[in-house]
Amino acid sequence: MFKHIVAAFIVAVLFSANAEAGGAVLVMNSSAASLSVIDIDSQTEISRIPVLREPHHWTLTPDNRELLVGDTVANEMLFLDPVTFAVRRRLPISDPYQLGFSPDGKLLVVTALARAQVDIYEAGSYKLVKRFALKSMPSHLDFSPDSAMVFISLQGTDRLAAIDLRKMALAWDMPVGRAPAGVIWHNGKVMVANMGSDDVAIVDPRDGRVTERLKIGKGAHTLFRSPDGKQLWVNARIDSTATVLDAKTLKPIRIYKLPGGPDDLVFAPDGKIWFTLRFAHKVAVLDPISGNFTTIAVGRSPHGIYLNPLGRATK
Amino acid sequence: MISALDLVAGWVQENLLLPALYAVGLMQWEDIAFGWALFAVYGAVQVALTFAVCLPLERWRPVERWPDAAAVWVDVLYTFIARVGLLPLVTFVLFYRLQTALNGALTDQGWVPPTLERLIPVLFGHPILTFVLYVVILDFAEYWRHRLSHIFTWWYSLHALHHAQRQMTFWSDDRNHLIDDMIGFAFATAIALLIGIPPLQFPLLVLVLRFLESLSHANVRLRFGWLGERLLVSPRFHRAHHGVTAAGLASVNYGAVLPWWDMIFGTADFSREFVTTGDPTAEEALATGGFFVQQWVGLRRMLRG
Repeated sequence: MFKHIVAAFIVAVLFSANAEAGGAVLVMNSSAASLSVIDIDSQTEISRIPVLREPHHWTLTPDNRELLVGDTVANEMLFLDPVTFAVRRRLPISDPYQLGFSPDGKLLVVTALARAQVDIYEAGSYKLVKRFALKSMPSHLDFSPDSAMVFISLQGTDRLAAIDLRKMALAWDMPVGRAPAGVIWHNGKVMVANMGSDDVAIVDPRDGRVTERLKIGKGAHTLFRSPDGKQLWVNARIDSTATVLDAKTLKPIRIYKLPGGPDDLVFAPDGKIWFTLRFAHKVAVLDPISGNFTTIAVGRSPHGIYLNPLGRATK
Repeated sequence: MISALDLVAGWVQENLLLPALYAVGLMQWEDIAFGWALFAVYGAVQVALTFAVCLPLERWRPVERWPDAAAVWVDVLYTFIARVGLLPLVTFVLFYRLQTALNGALTDQGWVPPTLERLIPVLFGHPILTFVLYVVILDFAEYWRHRLSHIFTWWYSLHALHHAQRQMTFWSDDRNHLIDDMIGFAFATAIALLIGIPPLQFPLLVLVLRFLESLSHANVRLRFGWLGERLLVSPRFHRAHHGVTAAGLASVNYGAVLPWWDMIFGTADFSREFVTTGDPTAEEALATGGFFVQQWVGLRRMLRG
């Protein structure tokens, strides 16, 4: 997922002359069966797109031409225009929760949290290649840069699983900490945010051994890399904080308090950072320099958030 | 109003549920807990709204007056258990693994449960219309679930707890044996596998529907008129279902919200006027016992057949 964030950021930089002319943000309102479209300039919700049940997360296709949004309870994948957010087509997919394309663009991996399954699809045709039954609650995922492995947190079993995408086999399944959630590949290691505790586990991708633990905040949940690669951001559920780590040293640089359950985030070209606040039913727009933030009301339980600097959805 | 209730649910989740889940090492349930928080908050509002409307109605035009209404208190307990979330929580925990395994197994066989909208594509983009259609379908299913609970002797042994109440009030709607409730949950799960069920995306509409179900049990002389009683289940219509002569295996007026199914399938009876309620065949404990006594007697009755 990170590479898509970078891609979006690069697009933003390329069009930086027009950076002030807005763009749009798409928010997945997981308990309101809708997607909120927010105009970045005016910071107002300009439209709400109805979906069937529970939209949670998104990914861009490798060519950046389609935005995929998974609707879990509807068992449906939505294919949107990433600029206008118009729904182009719908595809029956079993319980699509988290999703991501392998870095080589060949495979789409989808976790089905409520069905304890991980599905591997061929990108483009979306034919199911392989289904793994993994107990339990397969949640977040990230890939090794060579596309050989995908790492999946098993939120219900305190474990992290690694699937070898070349052999299409489970490589290992190891304990990493309580209720593991966010996963990110970083400097040859896998980092896992343990939501049931206050730490991020650093895992050796070869065998799944935890080599180090970073104290973050209670309910560590999601992990993101800043577009310049210099920072890692970790959101924590219980403490309602966003902790910034130096990407090299992994030392905390700054902690922001964001009441309302910060979950996913996205980096805007103007340097602001947009967070979904699950329990406040809002998104927060944080100025990381001043630490101030404003909020925008959206639908119930906003989860995934996508920003396109070229987005031009209309009312 | 909706956003205010959502904010309350969010506050409950952030400040009460999550710290509690964290403390006992159950944070993996945090996403599901929010669904429960919404259910509980909207459930509490349901209870308050029902109380605010039905109690004055019952005081204004009661069907019956009782010198001692002690038997009603257990129904109050049932209501809070069912609507403020304990029952759905327990039922969900019991069924979660089963549901996961069943859904996963069906998916393995190529069965991706559809939604009504996918079966009827014209519904895409019309969520309110879709919800109304869901209500009609689910109410139809509920008619048959309810009717079947009167046909099978073992099932009625459980359901008799609901019918045993002689002091029927708006609190009596949720007076059910826990096993009966779990069967209802399994029934809903089966329907969800067939057509999906919109979960908590329409909490306000669900609130109104549950209010109507409570109202239909109220101790009030209230008619909806000739046409109205053929559109929605009224207190008079549903009271006939709870009448002493309609208890047991050959009852009438099974509908929960819509009387249409009774009219279509020949079980409607619009003639009965505010009958006396109760089940003369049920043990006294089912009528006047405490919560645990009623649960035990219902279970024993079912096991004896």
